[in-house]
This record gives sequence, structure tokens and C-alpha cells, in this order.
Amino acid sequence: MRQRSMSIVAGVLVATALAIVAGCAPKKGTTTTGSETKVQITGAGSTFVNPIMSRWSSEYEKLTGVQVNYQSIGSGGGIQQFKEGTIDFGATDVAVTAEEQKDFTRQFVQFPVVAGTVAVVYNLPGVTQNLQLSPEVLADIFLGKIKKWNDRRLAELNPGVNLPDQDIVVVHRSDGSGTTYIFTDYLSTVSTEWQQRVGRGKSVSWPVGVGGKGNEGVTGQVKQLPGAVGYVELNYAVQNNLTFAAIRNAAGKFVLPGKSTGEEATRMAVEKLKQDIGSSVVNMPGENSYPITGFVYVLVDKQPKDAAKSAEMKKFFEWVLRDGQKMAVELDYVPLAEEVAQMSLQKLAEVP
Amino acid sequence: MRISRLYEMWRRFANIASLTITAVCAVVVMAPVFIILIYLLANGIRSVNWEFLSSLPKPPGDEGGGMANAIVGSFYMVGLGLLLSLPVGVGAGVYLAEFGRSRYGNAVRFMADVLNGVPSIVIGISVWALLVVPMRSFSALAGGVALSFIMIPMIARTTEEMVRAVPNSLRAASLSVGATYARTMWSVVLPAARGGIVTGVMLALARAFGEAAPLLFTALGNRFWNLYLDRPMANLPTQIYEYAKSPYQDWHRQAWAAALVLIAVVLVLNVVARMSTRERFRALR
Repeated sequence: MRQRSMSIVAGVLVATALAIVAGCAPKKGTTTTGSETKVQITGAGSTFVNPIMSRWSSEYEKLTGVQVNYQSIGSGGGIQQFKEGTIDFGATDVAVTAEEQKDFTRQFVQFPVVAGTVAVVYNLPGVTQNLQLSPEVLADIFLGKIKKWNDRRLAELNPGVNLPDQDIVVVHRSDGSGTTYIFTDYLSTVSTEWQQRVGRGKSVSWPVGVGGKGNEGVTGQVKQLPGAVGYVELNYAVQNNLTFAAIRNAAGKFVLPGKSTGEEATRMAVEKLKQDIGSSVVNMPGENSYPITGFVYVLVDKQPKDAAKSAEMKKFFEWVLRDGQKMAVELDYVPLAEEVAQMSLQKLAEVP
Repeated sequence: MRISRLYEMWRRFANIASLTITAVCAVVVMAPVFIILIYLLANGIRSVNWEFLSSLPKPPGDEGGGMANAIVGSFYMVGLGLLLSLPVGVGAGVYLAEFGRSRYGNAVRFMADVLNGVPSIVIGISVWALLVVPMRSFSALAGGVALSFIMIPMIARTTEEMVRAVPNSLRAASLSVGATYARTMWSVVLPAARGGIVTGVMLALARAFGEAAPLLFTALGNRFWNLYLDRPMANLPTQIYEYAKSPYQDWHRQAWAAALVLIAVVLVLNVVARMSTRERFRALR
């Protein structure tokens, strides 16, 4: 009796092994569902782009049956995996620099697919309006030089707002992040002291404050700590009903993060992008442009290992750059200005 | 006289005090389990429904959707891990119990213990370098192999203990009626040790089922269905991780539901493990 059950266990194991090996046999890169054959494309990287990417992927599958599987492993991870060739495309919030491109063994193109704004969020009991912040004040808050919410310089920027006598608690990211890069890139652009003392990077040594892991960590900290101020991608601020600040832009106007202000910033960046598609777009000129804006870039092989798959991927990104842009707004992203989308399409055209 | 009275009072006091402290400790041991269960039930039970169990993830903006592919993916890769680790683990365990009193046996035992202690993220990265990079693709196979690395030492060490616990008289009886050594192992020793081995396997399965770290850089994850070995595959732990850190309420809700499903499977595996141990004791009696 026992002996028989041992044999049954062994039999089941062998049968399963055979079934799996048999299941592995069909041609690589295709899934067969009924009679139609489905292409599956794998991409990974930026966490920020994940919600809109899964929206695009879902809509595109309904239209064409092509499955674009995107996984959020972080911008750094996306670049690394793309470099190793384990994924079909990578996505990153920080463009790959000319210096970093030397490490790549294969030729690739990078181009923006969507943009986003970074919101400065805060938790001030009793203050529900959008505070106005100048770049200098923002830098001094994150440098730890302005310590109280009722500081004279804050009060001057916000006449009529009853600012409480409360300590400012700075909340920043504890992990490496594209959001941190965009934010510190902005602070370095507007404040020489910030540039000298802290600089720009995916993770920097913060002069003051407490860390939170991920956008969700910073969101949670700001929600719980009265007096807290932090920076998150706009969709986290909106989804969690956090109040955010209007920032004074290069033209001297106070603007809130959002679709139109972000789009204006990307439009103003066109000339700069023509020189280098990876150039920074923070603190752009323009009456209505939000200064803490950044792109999400996609990396695609110029000499793909699988030509058929690459052709499908090209069609997907063409769709993203044309029809996909209007979906960006619903999810609090910034659609690319028409001129920028055209530049991306030109870059994409280099892919066979 | 007085001293002995005092001493007795002290003894009684010490007795009561120790009993109370250990009882409190026992409660503290149980408390986290109940807290986790109650918390998961409170947050997750409303979201565990047919839609959650049977449909694919939906993008943000569309309410609903589920994790059917992740549930199947988790079972698939744990099953694959079992397929790879059971023969190796049981084989190694039998070797260690029967012939393992050599320097080589000690080395194997030591390595198995080291492997058991290797952080699972390290296993994930190693398998990434070993399989994902050469295959130039994340895959269910890599996920299964990573999980088998976690299960092999657990299965090997429990098998060794269980085979060693089988009384020598049983081996002697089998050999004396003319059975070969192989026949003795297969028909007498292994069946006698079966309950214990099953317990070890179940505990290994439960551990593998809940692991996210080895799958992050091997199976990667998938928004769609996949049953192929050479493609990325969805799984519950990494899906929970992704959903929990999203900005969307609806995804948080589903992360709770997925956590509840995960803990339910782990609980069932543990209960089965417990039951097979009881069966073993009955068999030996």
C-alpha cells in the first residue's frame, strides 16, 4: 500500500515534468490562444510610468492582441536589465547620459513617451489652500535653513494665509529614485548653494529630514506628520488628497503642477531637446510652465535580436506617441507637446 | 525552621512567577499569528471574490480585475521548484542518513545548512546571473529554479533526520529476508519515514510560496497569462509588492486580498504538514 503511493508520487512527478517540457516546445516569443498567435513584449523600469504603461498595454491588447508586459523595477533596474539584454525595452525617468552610453555593447535609441510633474506636498492642519513657494524658499526649506512654517519669508510669499507656529519636517526619499533626480536637478538649477552642498542625483545626502521608501513612503509620512513637507509624483498627491504648493517659475509666475503647466514646460524645451534628447527640462521659461517637470524615456534596441517582435514593439510605441497621449491626462500625467511627440517618432524611426 | 519556611515561600513565589512569565511569552508567540490573520481578514475578505480569483489585472482607472494569473503562476513555479528539489532533496537526505558519516557527508551537510541560511534575494540574483542573462529573458523556469534552491536544503535535512529515525531493526528485518539494499530503502525505510518527509516538503512549499525576493529578478512578473517556461510569469508575492506601493486605493484593496489568499495557502500547507506528522506517529506506534 505505502509502496504503491510512493510509486504514484514518482509517477505524478515524471508526468508533470513531461507536460512542462512538452509545453515549452512551441516557438519562442509567441503564445497560442486558440488559433491566433500572440506576441508578448517585455519591458521594465521606471515605477513612475507603471500606471500609464499598464493602461496603454491593456488598451493596445484590446486593439491588436499584442501583449506588452511592463514591470516596475525602478529606473536604474530598467537601464541595467536593458543593458544585459534580458528585456525588450527599458523605461527610465532619467535619460541615459552620453557617458553611460559608452558602457552599452549594443546600439539603441532613447526618446520621451510621457512627462510628469513633481508636486511639493505638505501637511499643515488648518491650511487647505495651495501655498506659494519661491525657488529660494523651497531650497532653504530642504537645506534646513527655514525651520518654522510661520517663517517671515514664507509669510511674505503667502499674504492672508494663517501659517501656524509649527516646525517644518522635511520628508525625502530614502531609496534611489528618478523623482529625487528631477527634484534635486531643479534645486541645483535654481540654487547655487544647493548645487554646491548637495547636488543632483537619484539619491543625495540630504542636509535635513526623514526618509520614506518610494513615493508611497513619502506620501504616508507626509499624511501622518503635521508640519511635514515632501515631494512626490503628482498622481500620488492627487490620489491621496494631499495639498501641494504653487511654485514660482522662471517667468516669475506661481504655477501649480498639472497637465497644462507640465505640457507648456515640455513645449518650451523643444529647442533644448533638439540639441540633446536627454537634456533636463526643469525650470523652463514660459508664463505658464511648471518648473519641476520631467520626462519618462524608453530605451529600444537599434539592432534587435528578434526582428518580428521589434516591429510589433515599434508599432506599439507609435500608437503610444499618437493615440496614447490623451490617456495620460486621466492618470495625472503630462502628455507630450506635439513637437516633442514628433521628435520621439523620428527617433523611433531609427529602429528597423 | 523559620529559614525553611521562608525558603518554601520563595520557592512558591519563584514557581508562580516563572509560570506566569512563560505563559505570557507563550501568548506573545501566538499573538502575531492572530494579529496577522485578523488584520488580513478585516482588510482582505471583502475583496476575495470570484472576480478577483478568476480575472486578469486591470489598469488603474478601471475598477476591479483580479490576480488569476498571479495565483496560477505562484502554484506553477512552486510546483516546478518541487519537481526539481524533491528528487535531489530526498536523494541527498537518504545519502546523508545512510552513508553520511564521512568527511564528504559532513561537508554536504554543512553546505546544505549554509544554503538554507543564504538570504533569498541573494538566491534570486544568483539565478538571474545563472539563467536569466544567458537565456536573455526573464522566465518561469528561472523562478522555479530559484525556489528549488530554497527548498532543496530544507527537504534534504528533514529527509536525513527522518530516515535516520527509522529503527535499524526494520532495515535488518528487510535485509534478512533477502531484499537488496535498494529494495529496503524504497519499500521499507522511505515509506516508514514518509510522514516526516511530507512534513518537511510541505514546510518547504509553504516557505517557497511566500517568497518574493527570489522571484523579483527571475520570474519578473506578467500582466497577462503565461504558461511557458521561457517567459516572465506573474506571481502573488511580487504582485502584492507592486500593488501595495501604488497610489491607487483599488490596487491596495487587491493587495490585501492577495495577501489573504497567500496566507490561506501557507496555512493549509502547514496544517497538512501537521497532519502528516500525526499520521507518522500513529504508524510507528
